[in-house]
Order: sequence, then C-alpha cells, then structure tokens
Amino acid sequence: MMDLTWYLLGALSCAIVYGLYELSQKQRLNWLDWTGLILGAVLILFAIAWSVGAVLEGVPRAGSMGMLLFGLPGIVLTTLSLRFILARKEKVS
Amino acid sequence: MNEHDMKDEQNDTPEKSTTNESRRNFLKLGAAGAGLAAAAAGGVTVLKRMEGLPLDHFPLPINDEYVRIDQRNQINTYSFSKKLNDDHPERTKKFHDWNFYEKKKGFFIGPYRDKAAGQGQLDRALGAAGFFSPVSQLGYKSTGMDSLNAGVASWEQTMLAKEKYKFASPEEATLCIKSAARLFGAVRCGITPRDERWDYNPLYDAATDEVLTWEKDFPFKPRSVIVVMVDMDYDAIATAPAWTTDGATGDGYGKAIKLAGQLAVFIRQLGYQAVASMNDLGMNVPYAVAAGLGEAARNGAVITPHYGPRVRVAKIYTDFDFVEYAKPRDFGVASFCKNCKRCADSCPSKAITLGDPSWGPEYSTDPDYIWQASKGVFKFHNDAKLCFKFWIENDGSCAACIASCPYNKPDFWHHRLVDAQNVIAPGPVHSFMREMDILFGYGKVSDPERVTKFWKSGAKI
Repeated sequence: MMDLTWYLLGALSCAIVYGLYELSQKQRLNWLDWTGLILGAVLILFAIAWSVGAVLEGVPRAGSMGMLLFGLPGIVLTTLSLRFILARKEKVS
Repeated sequence: MNEHDMKDEQNDTPEKSTTNESRRNFLKLGAAGAGLAAAAAGGVTVLKRMEGLPLDHFPLPINDEYVRIDQRNQINTYSFSKKLNDDHPERTKKFHDWNFYEKKKGFFIGPYRDKAAGQGQLDRALGAAGFFSPVSQLGYKSTGMDSLNAGVASWEQTMLAKEKYKFASPEEATLCIKSAARLFGAVRCGITPRDERWDYNPLYDAATDEVLTWEKDFPFKPRSVIVVMVDMDYDAIATAPAWTTDGATGDGYGKAIKLAGQLAVFIRQLGYQAVASMNDLGMNVPYAVAAGLGEAARNGAVITPHYGPRVRVAKIYTDFDFVEYAKPRDFGVASFCKNCKRCADSCPSKAITLGDPSWGPEYSTDPDYIWQASKGVFKFHNDAKLCFKFWIENDGSCAACIASCPYNKPDFWHHRLVDAQNVIAPGPVHSFMREMDILFGYGKVSDPERVTKFWKSGAKI
C-alpha cells in the first residue's frame, strides 16, 4: 500500500512541478512566491505520506496529527501565496 | 555624451539586457545546483551519523571502584536459587521481607486476571507458547534464561571439526560469520574481543548451586565474543505490561538462543571452540555496546538503530580471533536518554532512575540493599529488584520500558526520518521530540486497546 502511495505522490509531485512551471510562464513570481508555493506543496505532500504511513501502521492518531501539523500549514501557505499572486495580477491588469 | 555615443548605447541595450539575463539565469542555476549539492552532502552526513560514529574507547567511563559481577548477585540467577536466598536473610529483610525464591514459585502460573487488560487465558497461552521453545524444545534449563552449560548453550564441544578452516582475511571471516548469523535470524551481529570486565566472576549454576570458574571449569579460554540480536514483535510488545507481551519476550529468547546455538555449531564446524550464551556467562549490554550494535540506555537495555530496545541479545564465546573486530559507536542515544525519561515515567515499579548517569546507585547506599548493583561505571543505575518484583506481582514479564521508548518503532519511513532528526538535533529538541511522541499517540502502556489490536494483527498475513 505504501508503494502505491509513493507512486501516486510521485505523479502528484510531477503535476505540481508542471503547475508551477505554467504559473511562472503566465505570471512573474518573486522569491517569496516561489518559497511559499514550494514549501506549501512539500508540506502537503509530506503530510499525505506521513498520514498514510501512520494509518498503515495502525496509529490513526499520528495520521491526524500529521495532517494537522504538516498539512494545515501547507494548505495555508499555498493558499496565501496564490492569493498574493492573484491579487498582484488583478492590480496589474 | 554626443549623438554618436547615444546611438551606440541605444544599439547596445538589447544585447546587454540579454547578456545580463543569461548571467542572472546562470547564477540562479548555479545557486540551485549548489543548494542541491549541499542538501545531498547533508543527507549523506546524516546517514553516516545514523550508522554511528566509531569510537576508539568504550563509551561508558569506568573507574577503579568497578569489580566484576558475581553471577550469584545477578537478580535472575539469585531468584532461582533457594540456597542463595537462604544464605542472605539480610537481603530479604531489607527488601520488603521479599524472598525472591519463595515469591517466584507461582510465577507465570497464577490464576487468570482481567481479559480486557491482556491477562486472560488467551494471553497466558501466548506467553507459555512463546517461552516453550527455549525452555522445553531446545533443552534450555527451566531455571530461567540465565542457566549455563545446558541444551544448545552446552559447554561440550560437540561437532568440533578436526581441521581448522583458514579464512583469507579477518574481513572475510567476519563477513562469513555475519552472513551465517543473518541466515539463522539475526538482525544485528558484531564481533568484539572478549573482555573479562563484562564476564561474571565467578559463574554460578542456579540449577545445581555450583560455583564455577572460567579458569578451571570453562572448556577453553575465549578470545572473541560474537554478539547477535533478534527483534521482538512490535504489536505484542506494545501491549506491555499485559501477559500478551510474554509471547514476544519468550519468542525473542527462543529465537536468540537458537541462533546462538547454531552459530556456535558453525564456529565449531570450522574447527574452533565455541559456546552459546544467553544471559549467563556475561552481561549482554556492555558486550553489545562494545560490538558497536547500540548504546546503553536509561532503561538498562541496549538501544540499537531501527529497533530501539525491542531486541534480545545472545552471544557466542569462541577462541577464534582471526576476525575484524567492531568498534563501539555513538548513535546519539545517550544524549537522547538524558532528556527523554519516558521509560522511567512509564515504569510500573519505578525501578528506572529519573536522574542523570552516576558512578553508582543513587536510590540507596545500603550494601544489604544494593547488593545486585554495579559500581564504578558512569551510567544510569536502576533498581533491578523493584523491576523483578513487579514481574512476579504482575505474574508475567513487563517490557513497559521497551514499549514506551521513542526508539521502539515499526519499520516505516517516517520513523526513520525522526531517527535521523534525533541523531543531529541538540538536547532541548530531544525533550520536544518526546512530547511529540506522546502527542502523536506512540508508546502508551497499560492500554487495553493495544491488546485488542494485537489480537487482530493476524489479519496482516
């Protein structure tokens, strides 16, 4: 099951890299945008891998904590970064 | 600036701009490459650190006060001998009028208790089955795991080949021995020179109440000690201190002595003398530390990478010395143990010290009370009597200090990541990691849910 998770996370990582590339082509990103987006994506991927591992070993509480401590900051970072980028885009247009 | 110059500048601008951008991109790429290289170098350093830093000396300081341990003062050996208990009424008096031999008579055979807490007939059956292999099947004396010269741990040099096998190099010899150990079930194996400091002196056979010496009774002069480890089942140990744990403890002993016996035969078939040993002959923890397999922990056990204290140790004494000896290693465990104290908090008998390492026991200075303790080694000193008293009262083994240890984790990637972090992080982070371990739901003892979970673990296969 963990092997399948790694495979799916790999596919998700490729999609994220492609998404970032597309975004960088349409919108000029500064270092803060890059940091926020990459860190956010890494945290989300890490939270998924952690939580699946924890559930597989039979400790769902560790899975929930992983989602809370890694996944939530990841979502917040990614959302904030995207919001700033979109706000800048609207201002320019 | 004249008109001509201005024209030149205007003509140069697009080219200059392209050059600057290329340079910027080149610098960005360079920075990204340097970052990746730094991350890779950091990763390699952490991996190396996780394998342990080799040490040129034994990691625990020892002073002149240290004397070799008399096997009669080893708590298991002592508790199995009526004679030893009768010889020392002062010890009984000082320890809650607790005669270990008398109290231990009903050990492991008491009435069933709370089924939900893992002390019912089902759990008792598991424990009895776990201990079946070393006690009955392999002929190991039923006086306990400290019996010497019996069954597969016999001192008789049977199957000793007449011709001595010649290895091409010590490295090859070590690799062959480790390969054989792996085949027979070892998860760790290391070879260290025999060190008399860690051997009991004199030896004592609790089954016959015989005092034995290395010089007169042991069949040969050992030169090397091969130390092997087997792991115990995570789910069963997690039920501690329920009787369900006994299944893993007994099975661990059985696997370890079987492995040691097979390796002893392997060495003898190579033409060299060898004797297998479990808890008898010498102390497992210092030998395992000397063989580079782990570090001495607060809970009195040896903590080894990946398994933590969830291992059983056995050893093979041999006169074969054409081997590459291992060095003790620093895995960062001692530093973690200083800050963690989770085992001490979880110990039902409060036998584990909450203090720092010391040269001797801090719980008492009365010689009639601390007769089993070693002095002159700078380590964590625990009261083995309290620990064993709880075993007897619990009518089963305990392993709460193993189950609660943050190093005791199953083989999942995220635990290896935390291990790596613990190796490089300084002390205050260790205290934080202990709290995180609790918050994430690991290492809880006396938890009926763990018993239920164990009895569902068969669904995995």
